[in-house]
Amino acid sequence: MPTLVTPLELCGIGKRFGRLSVLRGVELRVDAGEVVGLIGANGSGKTTLLNIAVGLLSPSEGERRLGGDPAPEVGLEQRARIAFVTHTTQLYPRLSARENMVLFAELRAAAGAEVAPIDPLLERLGLLHAADRMVGTFSRGMMQRLALARALAGRPQLLLLDEPFTALDRPGRERLAEVLVQERAAGLAVLLSSHDYDAVVAVTDRVVLLEDGRLRGEVRRGKGADATGYRDRVAELGLLRPSVSLDIRQGEEAMHA
Amino acid sequence: MRLSRQAWLLAKNDLRQELRDLELVATAGFFTLVVLVMFGLSFASLPLRAQPLAIPGMLWLAVAFVGALTLTRIFDRERESDTLRALLTAPVDRLAIYASKAAVTLVVLLGCCMVLVPGLSFLFPVAGVFAERPGTTAALVVLGCTAYAGVGTLFAAGLATSSGKNVLLSVILYPLTSPALMWSLVATRALLDGHPDLPTYLVQLAALDVLLLVLAGWLFESVLVGPGRSGTAARRARAAHRR
Repeated sequence: MPTLVTPLELCGIGKRFGRLSVLRGVELRVDAGEVVGLIGANGSGKTTLLNIAVGLLSPSEGERRLGGDPAPEVGLEQRARIAFVTHTTQLYPRLSARENMVLFAELRAAAGAEVAPIDPLLERLGLLHAADRMVGTFSRGMMQRLALARALAGRPQLLLLDEPFTALDRPGRERLAEVLVQERAAGLAVLLSSHDYDAVVAVTDRVVLLEDGRLRGEVRRGKGADATGYRDRVAELGLLRPSVSLDIRQGEEAMHA
Repeated sequence: MRLSRQAWLLAKNDLRQELRDLELVATAGFFTLVVLVMFGLSFASLPLRAQPLAIPGMLWLAVAFVGALTLTRIFDRERESDTLRALLTAPVDRLAIYASKAAVTLVVLLGCCMVLVPGLSFLFPVAGVFAERPGTTAALVVLGCTAYAGVGTLFAAGLATSSGKNVLLSVILYPLTSPALMWSLVATRALLDGHPDLPTYLVQLAALDVLLLVLAGWLFESVLVGPGRSGTAARRARAAHRR
Protein backbone atom coordinates (compact mmCIF):
# COMPACT_ATOMS: atom_id res chain seq x y z
CA MET A 1 0.00 0.00 0.00
CA PRO A 2 1.58 3.33 -0.99
CA THR A 3 2.26 5.88 1.75
CA LEU A 4 -0.17 8.77 1.51
CA VAL A 5 1.30 12.26 1.57
CA THR A 6 -1.71 13.79 3.32
CA PRO A 7 -3.71 11.04 4.98
CA LEU A 8 -6.26 13.45 6.48
CA GLU A 9 -7.62 16.81 5.46
CA LEU A 10 -10.68 18.37 7.01
CA CYS A 11 -11.87 21.36 5.00
CA GLY A 12 -14.39 23.75 6.58
CA ILE A 13 -15.94 21.01 8.67
CA GLY A 14 -19.13 21.83 10.54
CA LYS A 15 -21.34 19.50 12.54
CA ARG A 16 -24.81 20.09 13.91
CA PHE A 17 -27.01 17.79 15.99
CA GLY A 18 -30.42 19.30 15.44
CA ARG A 19 -30.06 22.94 16.48
CA LEU A 20 -26.87 22.28 18.41
CA SER A 21 -23.80 23.31 16.46
CA VAL A 22 -20.81 21.31 17.72
CA LEU A 23 -18.19 22.14 15.08
CA ARG A 24 -17.83 25.21 12.88
CA GLY A 25 -15.49 25.74 9.93
CA VAL A 26 -12.71 23.45 11.14
CA GLU A 27 -9.69 23.34 8.83
CA LEU A 28 -7.14 20.70 9.74
CA ARG A 29 -4.66 18.57 7.88
CA VAL A 30 -2.37 15.85 9.15
CA ASP A 31 0.57 14.88 6.98
CA ALA A 32 2.43 11.59 6.88
CA GLY A 33 5.08 11.43 9.61
CA GLU A 34 3.37 14.12 11.68
CA VAL A 35 1.84 13.88 15.15
CA VAL A 36 -0.81 16.53 15.78
CA GLY A 37 -2.30 17.15 19.22
CA LEU A 38 -5.87 18.33 19.63
CA ILE A 39 -6.53 20.08 22.91
CA GLY A 40 -9.62 21.76 24.29
CA ALA A 41 -12.09 21.74 27.14
CA ASN A 42 -14.76 19.09 27.59
CA GLY A 43 -17.49 19.58 25.00
CA SER A 44 -15.27 21.59 22.69
CA GLY A 45 -15.85 19.07 19.90
CA LYS A 46 -12.64 16.98 19.96
CA THR A 47 -14.31 13.57 19.96
CA THR A 48 -16.86 14.67 17.36
CA LEU A 49 -14.00 15.80 15.14
CA LEU A 50 -12.24 12.43 15.51
CA ASN A 51 -15.52 10.61 14.83
CA ILE A 52 -15.89 12.61 11.63
CA ALA A 53 -12.30 11.87 10.63
CA VAL A 54 -12.83 8.12 11.04
CA GLY A 55 -16.24 8.13 9.36
CA LEU A 56 -18.45 7.34 12.36
CA LEU A 57 -20.10 10.70 11.78
CA SER A 58 -20.66 12.62 8.58
CA PRO A 59 -20.01 16.36 8.59
CA SER A 60 -23.01 18.67 8.23
CA GLU A 61 -20.84 20.94 6.11
CA GLY A 62 -17.35 20.97 4.64
CA GLU A 63 -15.33 18.20 3.11
CA ARG A 64 -13.43 15.25 4.55
CA ARG A 65 -10.45 14.16 2.42
CA LEU A 66 -8.59 10.91 3.01
CA GLY A 67 -5.36 10.30 1.13
CA GLY A 68 -6.03 13.40 -0.93
CA ASP A 69 -9.41 12.19 -2.19
CA PRO A 70 -12.80 13.49 -1.08
CA ALA A 71 -14.40 10.94 1.23
CA PRO A 72 -18.11 11.71 1.77
CA GLU A 73 -18.38 8.12 3.04
CA VAL A 74 -15.52 6.15 4.58
CA GLY A 75 -15.54 2.82 2.79
CA LEU A 76 -13.82 -0.49 3.49
CA GLU A 77 -10.66 0.43 1.59
CA GLN A 78 -10.27 3.69 3.51
CA ARG A 79 -11.07 2.06 6.84
CA ALA A 80 -8.22 -0.35 6.15
CA ARG A 81 -5.82 2.62 6.26
CA ILE A 82 -7.18 4.22 9.43
CA ALA A 83 -6.99 3.07 13.03
CA PHE A 84 -8.97 4.61 15.87
CA VAL A 85 -8.18 4.08 19.55
CA THR A 86 -10.43 5.62 22.18
CA HIS A 87 -10.40 5.69 25.97
CA THR A 88 -13.11 3.01 25.88
CA THR A 89 -10.76 0.27 24.84
CA GLN A 90 -13.22 -1.61 22.62
CA LEU A 91 -11.86 -5.04 23.47
CA TYR A 92 -13.74 -8.27 24.18
CA PRO A 93 -13.16 -8.96 27.90
CA ARG A 94 -13.90 -12.68 27.58
CA LEU A 95 -11.21 -13.20 24.94
CA SER A 96 -7.51 -13.33 25.62
CA ALA A 97 -5.26 -10.53 24.37
CA ARG A 98 -4.02 -12.77 21.56
CA GLU A 99 -7.57 -13.80 20.59
CA ASN A 100 -8.61 -10.14 20.42
CA MET A 101 -5.64 -9.39 18.18
CA VAL A 102 -6.16 -12.45 15.99
CA LEU A 103 -9.87 -11.74 15.50
CA PHE A 104 -9.25 -8.26 14.12
CA ALA A 105 -6.19 -9.40 12.16
CA GLU A 106 -8.26 -12.12 10.48
CA LEU A 107 -11.10 -9.70 9.76
CA ARG A 108 -8.60 -7.34 8.12
CA ALA A 109 -6.94 -10.15 6.19
CA ALA A 110 -10.36 -11.25 4.91
CA ALA A 111 -10.82 -7.74 3.53
CA GLY A 112 -7.44 -7.98 1.79
CA ALA A 113 -5.84 -5.43 4.14
CA GLU A 114 -2.31 -5.62 5.51
CA VAL A 115 -1.66 -7.24 8.88
CA ALA A 116 1.50 -7.07 10.98
CA PRO A 117 2.76 -10.07 13.00
CA ILE A 118 1.04 -10.10 16.37
CA ASP A 119 3.64 -11.33 18.86
CA PRO A 120 6.29 -8.69 18.08
CA LEU A 121 3.63 -5.99 18.56
CA LEU A 122 2.54 -7.45 21.88
CA GLU A 123 6.16 -7.55 22.95
CA ARG A 124 6.70 -3.95 21.87
CA LEU A 125 3.75 -2.82 23.99
CA GLY A 126 4.93 -4.96 26.93
CA LEU A 127 2.05 -7.44 26.77
CA LEU A 128 3.58 -10.64 25.44
CA HIS A 129 3.73 -12.15 28.93
CA ALA A 130 -0.03 -11.65 29.25
CA ALA A 131 -0.96 -12.65 25.69
CA ASP A 132 -3.06 -15.64 26.75
CA ARG A 133 -4.77 -13.96 29.68
CA MET A 134 -8.41 -12.89 29.44
CA VAL A 135 -8.64 -9.18 28.74
CA GLY A 136 -11.24 -8.86 31.51
CA THR A 137 -8.44 -9.45 34.02
CA PHE A 138 -6.27 -6.64 32.58
CA SER A 139 -5.76 -3.25 34.20
CA ARG A 140 -7.06 -0.22 32.26
CA GLY A 141 -3.52 0.65 31.28
CA MET A 142 -2.89 -2.82 29.84
CA MET A 143 -6.16 -2.63 27.91
CA GLN A 144 -5.14 0.76 26.53
CA ARG A 145 -1.83 -0.67 25.35
CA LEU A 146 -3.55 -3.69 23.83
CA ALA A 147 -5.96 -1.42 21.96
CA LEU A 148 -2.95 0.42 20.55
CA ALA A 149 -1.27 -2.86 19.59
CA ARG A 150 -4.44 -3.93 17.78
CA ALA A 151 -4.54 -0.61 15.96
CA LEU A 152 -0.92 -0.90 14.85
CA ALA A 153 -1.44 -4.50 13.72
CA GLY A 154 -3.40 -3.07 10.80
CA ARG A 155 -0.34 -1.08 9.62
CA PRO A 156 -2.47 2.08 9.38
CA GLN A 157 -1.40 5.24 7.58
CA LEU A 158 -3.53 7.41 9.84
CA LEU A 159 -3.87 6.80 13.58
CA LEU A 160 -6.56 8.62 15.54
CA LEU A 161 -6.24 8.56 19.32
CA ASP A 162 -8.94 9.87 21.64
CA GLU A 163 -7.53 10.47 25.13
CA PRO A 164 -4.84 7.78 24.73
CA PHE A 165 -3.05 8.66 27.96
CA THR A 166 -6.12 8.06 30.13
CA ALA A 167 -5.43 5.36 32.73
CA LEU A 168 -1.78 4.99 31.74
CA ASP A 169 0.79 5.15 34.51
CA ARG A 170 4.11 6.88 33.95
CA PRO A 171 5.92 3.90 32.37
CA GLY A 172 2.85 3.29 30.21
CA ARG A 173 2.87 6.88 29.01
CA GLU A 174 6.56 6.71 28.27
CA ARG A 175 6.09 3.51 26.32
CA LEU A 176 3.20 5.01 24.34
CA ALA A 177 5.26 8.13 23.60
CA GLU A 178 8.16 5.93 22.48
CA VAL A 179 5.91 3.92 20.15
CA LEU A 180 4.39 7.07 18.67
CA VAL A 181 7.82 8.55 18.00
CA GLN A 182 8.90 5.31 16.27
CA GLU A 183 5.72 5.17 14.19
CA ARG A 184 6.06 8.81 13.23
CA ALA A 185 9.57 8.09 11.98
CA ALA A 186 8.08 5.29 9.88
CA GLY A 187 5.67 7.78 8.26
CA LEU A 188 2.52 7.31 10.31
CA ALA A 189 0.21 10.31 10.60
CA VAL A 190 -1.26 10.70 14.08
CA LEU A 191 -4.04 12.94 15.37
CA LEU A 192 -4.53 12.68 19.13
CA SER A 193 -6.81 14.45 21.54
CA SER A 194 -5.85 14.82 25.17
CA HIS A 195 -6.16 16.92 28.30
CA ASP A 196 -2.69 15.90 29.35
CA TYR A 197 -0.51 18.77 28.13
CA ASP A 198 2.77 17.22 29.27
CA ALA A 199 2.08 14.06 27.32
CA VAL A 200 0.90 16.03 24.29
CA VAL A 201 4.01 18.20 24.33
CA ALA A 202 6.23 15.13 24.56
CA VAL A 203 4.97 13.47 21.39
CA THR A 204 3.51 16.10 19.07
CA ASP A 205 4.92 18.23 16.28
CA ARG A 206 1.97 20.59 16.36
CA VAL A 207 -0.85 21.34 18.75
CA VAL A 208 -4.19 22.89 17.83
CA LEU A 209 -6.75 24.25 20.26
CA LEU A 210 -10.42 23.55 19.69
CA GLU A 211 -12.77 25.85 21.53
CA ASP A 212 -16.56 25.92 21.17
CA GLY A 213 -16.26 23.93 17.97
CA ARG A 214 -13.74 26.24 16.30
CA LEU A 215 -9.98 25.96 15.88
CA ARG A 216 -8.66 28.92 17.88
CA GLY A 217 -4.93 28.54 17.74
CA GLU A 218 -1.97 26.46 16.72
CA VAL A 219 1.56 25.97 18.03
CA ARG A 220 4.28 24.25 16.04
CA ARG A 221 7.36 22.62 17.46
CA GLY A 222 10.22 24.73 16.20
CA LYS A 223 13.70 23.68 15.28
CA GLY A 224 16.78 24.27 17.44
CA ALA A 225 16.27 26.90 20.15
CA ASP A 226 12.53 27.15 19.42
CA ALA A 227 11.97 23.56 20.54
CA THR A 228 12.62 24.49 24.17
CA GLY A 229 9.82 27.02 24.11
CA TYR A 230 7.29 24.52 22.66
CA ARG A 231 6.03 23.43 26.07
CA ASP A 232 5.54 27.02 27.24
CA ARG A 233 3.72 28.02 24.07
CA VAL A 234 1.41 24.96 24.27
CA ALA A 235 0.70 25.72 27.93
CA GLU A 236 -0.01 29.34 27.03
CA LEU A 237 -2.34 28.26 24.22
CA GLY A 238 -4.23 25.82 26.38
CA LEU A 239 -4.22 27.18 29.90
CA LEU A 240 -4.75 30.85 29.19
CA ARG A 241 -7.92 30.20 27.27
CA PRO A 242 -10.93 30.96 29.51
CA SER A 243 -12.92 27.81 28.69
CA VAL A 244 -9.98 25.50 29.34
CA SER A 245 -9.00 27.14 32.60
CA LEU A 246 -12.67 27.12 33.60
CA ASP A 247 -12.51 23.32 33.61
CA ILE A 248 -9.54 23.44 35.97
CA ARG A 249 -11.30 25.91 38.27
CA GLN A 250 -14.43 23.74 38.30
CA GLY A 251 -12.30 20.72 39.15
CA GLU A 252 -10.66 22.59 42.04
CA GLU A 253 -14.02 23.82 43.33
CA ALA A 254 -15.38 20.32 43.21
CA MET A 255 -12.40 19.04 45.16
CA HIS A 256 -12.84 21.66 47.87
CA ALA A 257 -16.63 21.31 48.08
CA MET B 1 -15.97 -14.46 -0.28
CA ARG B 2 -14.94 -11.56 1.97
CA LEU B 3 -18.45 -11.22 3.33
CA SER B 4 -18.88 -14.90 4.13
CA ARG B 5 -15.38 -15.15 5.65
CA GLN B 6 -15.92 -12.12 7.89
CA ALA B 7 -19.41 -13.31 8.87
CA TRP B 8 -17.97 -16.70 9.80
CA LEU B 9 -15.15 -15.12 11.85
CA LEU B 10 -17.61 -12.94 13.77
CA ALA B 11 -20.09 -15.76 14.36
CA LYS B 12 -17.25 -18.04 15.50
CA ASN B 13 -16.10 -15.31 17.88
CA ASP B 14 -19.62 -14.98 19.34
CA LEU B 15 -19.99 -18.74 19.72
CA ARG B 16 -16.57 -19.03 21.35
CA GLN B 17 -17.50 -16.42 23.96
CA GLU B 18 -20.90 -18.04 24.39
CA LEU B 19 -19.28 -21.38 25.14
CA ARG B 20 -17.25 -19.65 27.86
CA ASP B 21 -20.08 -17.88 29.69
CA LEU B 22 -23.24 -19.60 28.35
CA GLU B 23 -25.21 -16.37 28.84
CA LEU B 24 -27.57 -16.77 25.90
CA VAL B 25 -27.83 -20.55 25.97
CA ALA B 26 -28.51 -20.77 29.71
CA THR B 27 -31.16 -18.03 29.65
CA ALA B 28 -32.90 -19.33 26.53
CA GLY B 29 -32.54 -22.98 27.57
CA PHE B 30 -34.02 -22.59 31.04
CA PHE B 31 -36.80 -20.41 29.70
CA THR B 32 -37.68 -23.09 27.11
CA LEU B 33 -37.80 -25.79 29.77
CA VAL B 34 -40.01 -23.68 32.03
CA VAL B 35 -42.40 -22.91 29.17
CA LEU B 36 -42.55 -26.58 28.25
CA VAL B 37 -43.35 -27.63 31.81
CA MET B 38 -46.04 -24.93 32.04
CA PHE B 39 -47.60 -26.07 28.77
CA GLY B 40 -47.51 -29.65 30.04
CA LEU B 41 -49.21 -28.76 33.32
CA SER B 42 -51.79 -26.49 31.73
CA PHE B 43 -52.75 -28.44 28.64
CA ALA B 44 -52.02 -32.10 29.49
CA SER B 45 -55.73 -32.97 29.57
CA LEU B 46 -56.55 -31.17 26.31
CA PRO B 47 -58.86 -33.30 24.12
CA LEU B 48 -57.14 -34.89 21.12
CA ARG B 49 -59.17 -32.95 18.56
CA ALA B 50 -58.21 -29.63 20.22
CA GLN B 51 -54.49 -30.36 20.27
CA PRO B 52 -53.74 -29.49 16.61
CA LEU B 53 -55.22 -26.04 17.32
CA ALA B 54 -53.13 -25.42 20.42
CA ILE B 55 -49.75 -26.98 19.62
CA PRO B 56 -48.73 -24.54 16.81
CA GLY B 57 -49.48 -21.66 19.17
CA MET B 58 -47.40 -23.21 21.97
CA LEU B 59 -44.44 -23.81 19.63
CA TRP B 60 -44.31 -20.39 18.00
CA LEU B 61 -45.22 -18.47 21.14
CA ALA B 62 -42.24 -20.08 22.84
CA VAL B 63 -40.03 -19.23 19.83
CA ALA B 64 -41.25 -15.62 19.93
CA PHE B 65 -40.39 -15.21 23.62
CA VAL B 66 -37.05 -17.04 23.43
CA GLY B 67 -36.26 -14.97 20.34
CA ALA B 68 -37.01 -11.68 22.10
CA LEU B 69 -34.91 -12.79 25.07
CA THR B 70 -32.01 -13.65 22.76
CA LEU B 71 -32.26 -10.53 20.64
CA THR B 72 -32.14 -8.20 23.63
CA ARG B 73 -28.76 -9.74 24.48
CA ILE B 74 -27.29 -10.50 21.09
CA PHE B 75 -25.35 -7.21 20.91
CA ASP B 76 -24.53 -7.14 24.66
CA ARG B 77 -20.90 -8.18 24.17
CA GLU B 78 -20.40 -5.35 21.70
CA ARG B 79 -22.32 -2.86 23.84
CA GLU B 80 -20.56 -3.81 27.06
CA SER B 81 -17.10 -2.74 25.99
CA ASP B 82 -17.95 -0.63 22.95
CA THR B 83 -16.46 -3.17 20.55
CA LEU B 84 -19.17 -2.34 18.05
CA ARG B 85 -17.29 0.90 17.34
CA ALA B 86 -14.10 -1.08 16.78
CA LEU B 87 -15.95 -3.23 14.24
CA LEU B 88 -17.49 -0.19 12.56
CA THR B 89 -14.13 1.53 12.13
CA ALA B 90 -12.33 -1.64 10.98
CA PRO B 91 -12.47 -2.83 7.36
CA VAL B 92 -15.39 -5.09 8.20
CA ASP B 93 -18.41 -5.38 5.93
CA ARG B 94 -21.49 -4.24 7.92
CA LEU B 95 -23.47 -6.99 6.26
CA ALA B 96 -21.05 -9.51 7.81
CA ILE B 97 -21.96 -8.15 11.26
CA TYR B 98 -25.65 -8.62 10.43
CA ALA B 99 -25.13 -12.12 9.02
CA SER B 100 -23.12 -13.25 12.04
CA LYS B 101 -25.63 -11.95 14.58
CA ALA B 102 -28.59 -13.39 12.67
CA ALA B 103 -26.77 -16.73 12.43
CA VAL B 104 -26.05 -16.85 16.17
CA THR B 105 -29.67 -15.94 16.96
CA LEU B 106 -30.79 -18.70 14.61
CA VAL B 107 -28.49 -21.22 16.30
CA VAL B 108 -29.97 -20.34 19.72
CA LEU B 109 -33.56 -20.56 18.40
CA LEU B 110 -32.90 -23.89 16.70
CA GLY B 111 -31.30 -25.18 19.89
CA CYS B 112 -34.47 -24.31 21.79
CA CYS B 113 -36.63 -25.93 19.10
CA MET B 114 -34.59 -29.10 19.53
CA VAL B 115 -35.96 -29.17 23.09
CA LEU B 116 -39.43 -27.80 22.32
CA VAL B 117 -40.39 -30.09 19.44
CA PRO B 118 -39.53 -33.43 21.13
CA GLY B 119 -41.00 -32.06 24.36
CA LEU B 120 -44.32 -31.24 22.71
CA SER B 121 -44.30 -34.66 21.00
CA PHE B 122 -43.80 -36.28 24.39
CA LEU B 123 -46.56 -34.27 26.10
CA PHE B 124 -49.20 -34.32 23.35
CA PRO B 125 -49.97 -37.44 21.25
CA VAL B 126 -51.02 -35.38 18.20
CA ALA B 127 -47.55 -33.80 18.03
CA GLY B 128 -46.19 -37.26 17.29
CA VAL B 129 -46.44 -36.10 13.65
CA PHE B 130 -43.23 -34.13 14.28
CA ALA B 131 -41.39 -37.41 14.86
CA GLU B 132 -43.13 -39.17 11.96
CA ARG B 133 -42.14 -36.44 9.47
CA PRO B 134 -38.76 -35.22 10.75
CA GLY B 135 -37.62 -33.71 7.43
CA THR B 136 -40.74 -31.57 7.01
CA THR B 137 -40.69 -30.60 10.67
CA ALA B 138 -37.03 -29.56 10.44
CA ALA B 139 -37.71 -27.52 7.28
CA LEU B 140 -40.66 -25.80 8.94
CA VAL B 141 -38.73 -24.95 12.11
CA VAL B 142 -35.64 -23.72 10.20
CA LEU B 143 -37.72 -21.55 7.85
CA GLY B 144 -39.82 -20.07 10.67
CA CYS B 145 -36.84 -19.35 12.91
CA THR B 146 -34.84 -17.86 10.00
CA ALA B 147 -37.59 -15.35 9.29
CA TYR B 148 -37.76 -14.39 12.97
CA ALA B 149 -33.98 -14.10 13.40
CA GLY B 150 -33.61 -12.21 10.12
CA VAL B 151 -35.98 -9.40 10.96
CA GLY B 152 -35.24 -9.45 14.71
CA THR B 153 -31.50 -8.92 14.29
CA LEU B 154 -32.15 -5.73 12.36
CA PHE B 155 -34.01 -4.19 15.28
CA ALA B 156 -31.59 -5.56 17.87
CA ALA B 157 -28.88 -3.64 15.99
CA GLY B 158 -30.93 -0.47 16.09
CA LEU B 159 -31.23 -0.74 19.84
CA ALA B 160 -27.56 -1.62 20.29
CA THR B 161 -26.70 1.88 19.09
CA SER B 162 -29.53 3.67 20.87
CA SER B 163 -29.98 4.21 24.57
CA GLY B 164 -30.39 0.51 25.28
CA LYS B 165 -34.10 0.65 25.93
CA ASN B 166 -34.69 -3.02 25.35
CA VAL B 167 -38.37 -2.70 26.06
CA LEU B 168 -38.66 -0.98 22.71
CA LEU B 169 -37.39 -4.11 21.02
CA SER B 170 -40.45 -6.03 22.04
CA VAL B 171 -42.77 -3.19 21.10
CA ILE B 172 -41.24 -3.01 17.62
CA LEU B 173 -40.30 -6.65 17.25
CA TYR B 174 -43.61 -8.40 17.78
CA PRO B 175 -45.63 -6.47 15.19
CA LEU B 176 -42.85 -6.84 12.62
CA THR B 177 -42.28 -10.54 13.20
CA SER B 178 -46.00 -11.26 13.19
CA PRO B 179 -46.13 -12.24 9.49
CA ALA B 180 -43.29 -14.75 9.99
CA LEU B 181 -44.92 -16.17 13.14
CA MET B 182 -48.39 -16.35 11.53
CA TRP B 183 -47.08 -18.13 8.46
CA SER B 184 -45.12 -20.57 10.61
CA LEU B 185 -48.18 -21.16 12.74
CA VAL B 186 -50.41 -21.88 9.73
CA ALA B 187 -47.81 -24.23 8.24
CA THR B 188 -47.45 -26.09 11.57
CA ARG B 189 -51.21 -26.49 11.78
CA ALA B 190 -51.18 -27.86 8.21
CA LEU B 191 -48.45 -30.32 9.19
CA LEU B 192 -50.42 -31.57 12.20
CA ASP B 193 -53.64 -31.84 10.17
CA GLY B 194 -51.93 -33.54 7.24
CA HIS B 195 -53.18 -30.73 4.99
CA PRO B 196 -52.31 -31.20 1.26
CA ASP B 197 -51.28 -27.54 0.90
CA LEU B 198 -48.38 -27.88 3.34
CA PRO B 199 -45.69 -27.77 0.59
CA THR B 200 -47.23 -24.52 -0.69
CA TYR B 201 -47.09 -23.03 2.80
CA LEU B 202 -43.45 -24.03 3.13
CA VAL B 203 -42.56 -22.45 -0.22
CA GLN B 204 -44.36 -19.28 0.83
CA LEU B 205 -42.48 -19.30 4.12
CA ALA B 206 -39.18 -19.70 2.24
CA ALA B 207 -40.13 -16.76 0.00
CA LEU B 208 -40.90 -14.69 3.12
CA ASP B 209 -37.47 -15.64 4.50
CA VAL B 210 -35.74 -14.40 1.35
CA LEU B 211 -37.76 -11.18 1.35
CA LEU B 212 -37.09 -10.44 5.03
CA LEU B 213 -33.38 -11.29 4.81
CA VAL B 214 -32.87 -9.11 1.74
CA LEU B 215 -34.81 -6.23 3.28
CA ALA B 216 -33.05 -6.51 6.65
CA GLY B 217 -29.62 -6.81 4.99
CA TRP B 218 -30.36 -3.74 2.90
CA LEU B 219 -31.49 -1.66 5.88
CA PHE B 220 -28.91 -2.93 8.37
CA GLU B 221 -26.12 -0.42 7.75
CA SER B 222 -28.41 2.59 8.02
CA VAL B 223 -29.97 1.17 11.19
CA LEU B 224 -26.56 0.46 12.72
CA VAL B 225 -24.68 3.58 11.67
CA GLY B 226 -27.58 5.86 10.78
CA PRO B 227 -27.81 8.23 7.85
CA GLY B 228 -24.80 10.41 8.47
CA ARG B 229 -24.21 9.53 12.09
CA SER B 230 -23.91 6.66 14.48
CA GLY B 231 -26.34 6.74 17.36
CA THR B 232 -23.61 6.09 19.90
CA ALA B 233 -21.28 8.71 18.51
CA ALA B 234 -24.03 11.29 18.26
CA ARG B 235 -25.21 10.58 21.80
CA ARG B 236 -21.68 10.92 23.13
CA ALA B 237 -21.17 14.16 21.27
CA ARG B 238 -24.35 15.62 22.73
CA ALA B 239 -23.45 14.43 26.22
CA ALA B 240 -19.94 15.88 25.94
CA HIS B 241 -21.34 19.19 24.79
CA ARG B 242 -23.78 19.34 27.69
CA ARG B 243 -20.88 18.82 30.12
